[in-house]
Amino acid sequence: MQNVTSLPHLVHAYRVAPWRIQRQWVGNILLVVVGVAMIAALYLDVTARAAIAGREIQGLKLATLNSQHSSADLETQLARLTSMRVMKQRALALGFRPVKSQEIDYILVAGYRKPAPEILAIVPQLGLRAPNIAPEYTESLLDWFDQQIHIGGLQ
Amino acid sequence: MRQQYAWRSKLLAGALAFFALMIVSQMFRIQMSVEAAEFRVQAKSYSSETKTFYPDRGEIYDRNGSLLAGNQIVFEVGVNLNMHKDINVIASTVSTVLGLDYNQLLYDITNPPVPNLSYLVLADFVDEPKAKRLMEIRQKMDEQAPDGVAGALNALEFKSHPMRSYPEESLGSNILGFVNREGRGYFGVEEKYNDILAGNPVRVTIPTDPNQAINIPRIPDGSTLILTIDRDLQAAAEQTLDDALALYGAQNGIIMIIDPRNGETLAVAASKRMDLNKFWDYGVVYENASDFNPAISKPYEPGSVIKILTMAAALDSQTAVRSTRYLDTGAILVGGVEIRNWDNNAWGDQDMTGCLQHSLNVCMAWLSTQMGPETFYGYMNNFGLGHLTAVDMAGEAAGRLKVPGDADWYPVDLGTNAFGQGVAVTPIQLLTATSAVANHGRMVTPHVLYAMVRDGRQYNAPAQYAGTPIRAETADTLSDMLAYSLELESSNALVPGYRVAGKTGTAQIPVDGYYDETQTNASFIGWGPVDDPRFMIYVWLERPSASIWGSQTAAPVFSEMAKQTVVIMDIPPDRIRLSLASK
Repeated sequence: MQNVTSLPHLVHAYRVAPWRIQRQWVGNILLVVVGVAMIAALYLDVTARAAIAGREIQGLKLATLNSQHSSADLETQLARLTSMRVMKQRALALGFRPVKSQEIDYILVAGYRKPAPEILAIVPQLGLRAPNIAPEYTESLLDWFDQQIHIGGLQ
Repeated sequence: MRQQYAWRSKLLAGALAFFALMIVSQMFRIQMSVEAAEFRVQAKSYSSETKTFYPDRGEIYDRNGSLLAGNQIVFEVGVNLNMHKDINVIASTVSTVLGLDYNQLLYDITNPPVPNLSYLVLADFVDEPKAKRLMEIRQKMDEQAPDGVAGALNALEFKSHPMRSYPEESLGSNILGFVNREGRGYFGVEEKYNDILAGNPVRVTIPTDPNQAINIPRIPDGSTLILTIDRDLQAAAEQTLDDALALYGAQNGIIMIIDPRNGETLAVAASKRMDLNKFWDYGVVYENASDFNPAISKPYEPGSVIKILTMAAALDSQTAVRSTRYLDTGAILVGGVEIRNWDNNAWGDQDMTGCLQHSLNVCMAWLSTQMGPETFYGYMNNFGLGHLTAVDMAGEAAGRLKVPGDADWYPVDLGTNAFGQGVAVTPIQLLTATSAVANHGRMVTPHVLYAMVRDGRQYNAPAQYAGTPIRAETADTLSDMLAYSLELESSNALVPGYRVAGKTGTAQIPVDGYYDETQTNASFIGWGPVDDPRFMIYVWLERPSASIWGSQTAAPVFSEMAKQTVVIMDIPPDRIRLSLASK
């Protein structure tokens, strides 16, 4: 059996040209650079979106507060418009007068029960809390990698 | 040729590498520079803001959901001292719209209280229409200004915040109390529940980094309160009281209504009331703090209404029974002092109902002496005289019940205390004590809090009882005796269609150490329907000029108030109610 290295013409024929090797190096470096650029762009994008979402949260919290104040203000205005003094004036102007006890007819209504005064059970306020926000809006890219490694998402 | 290209490529690569190295080294140099450290410190100072959050004050409703105390938006108007262009325009506009002094404004802006001040408050608690007007003027000036140039009012800044507002103005003012501009409650419910209504101010560090926006804490608002007060009944009580003051020429008065079954306070009308939105008028309306809600804070000698308690003690201790006879000779000697009836007459042979019906002082003094001081004062103590009732309104007074052993107690007090002289009580104390008679022996603790709403949950306040000073049989017997005595004398307190029980009181007012026969406290305490009491009404008229007698002034006021109460509370007449119940 003849040794391959002893055949110079074959070695020359199968050796990769130096310029090809250089091109491979350049290509690899460029690949790494593009990869890093993509990751950086992705990171920048996620960070920017998280920042925008954060700003929106801050704005919404302020808007919520303003809405609550506005709601309370409107409720007070409504109460002022329906206050005892105003309603009495309007009723008298419309020709009504206070009823007397002898003028009332009482009838028995089967099953009727006068509503209890517990009428102010309001709907619980929806608070914006961290567990309600998807992790995409809160974790950084490194957090995401870390999470994926822990759960074995990256094989 | 290829060698030449290779050399050029290497040169280019080297240049680029050098350039990149220069960028990195420059970045490193900048990061490590002194300026960078300063910027980092500066950035850190801007990274968060420490702020004290004051929760919005909770609202107050009546038992049917009518808003009694709410919050309205007001504005703080200020000027940015680094931005203002023409202070004359600012001072002129603000003074015109807000009605402030132009020269003072001009002086304040040009001479800020602190050097290098960047923001100066010109006015606070500006109502919305005025603030909106200023905003409109600012916007118009901005629109009229040349492109790229700010308007003359651009330095004006507006910050909205809530302020306490009372839509019913003076209605129930003595119950509610008020809140000053610093947010502190004074008098009534506002003071008693100030901490609950105001919530807990929280000092927190808020990150300005939007990535940490979720770390901004949520500050819970103050709790909302629902009162046992009925707005309609309160308005009716105030109107009835005002009419009574005018009709009988009384100086002051009180009408108080409670539910004797559970102590819920339904209405408290006092003659002196103030628009709570103008709390600064407090000093003009009231001379003393006790005038704000005299129903709980103004003790006085009640007179004959206290005979209910004396008779209750006598019956419960079995010193007397309903049919016990007493020969009234018109006078009795107690502690060496002669006690006489209100009319100085002898009423002859009477049973206990007659003693109540004719309001005989002599009979009551006889009963108290028969009981003896230990028994009599033991019962009065159990009825809560001389003690706070623990009603949940600020400013309650305890009154005074002298007892044997006190330096100022004399043996004659045993006789006079039995018909309401020499003892000082508040109207709410009498209502509390008498609730035991109306409520089958069980005495209630009066209260105005029906429920509290916090974080969307409603917590109802349970009824509390202050003991059982008398037996149920005693209470029921006495109720019947009082109702019967009213019917026998065709009292002005009677309410057509409803059986009510009650007692008048006419107490002479001590002036310079002597009782003045021409000046009296006329009162009436009553409840109904007797078989199932739903309301207990106390009427007190101070110094009525039309008549000194409670039977001619306070009793008809009770009747009028009761007539309105049964309508507002949907209480059918006894005949209909009992026939409906039998079905």
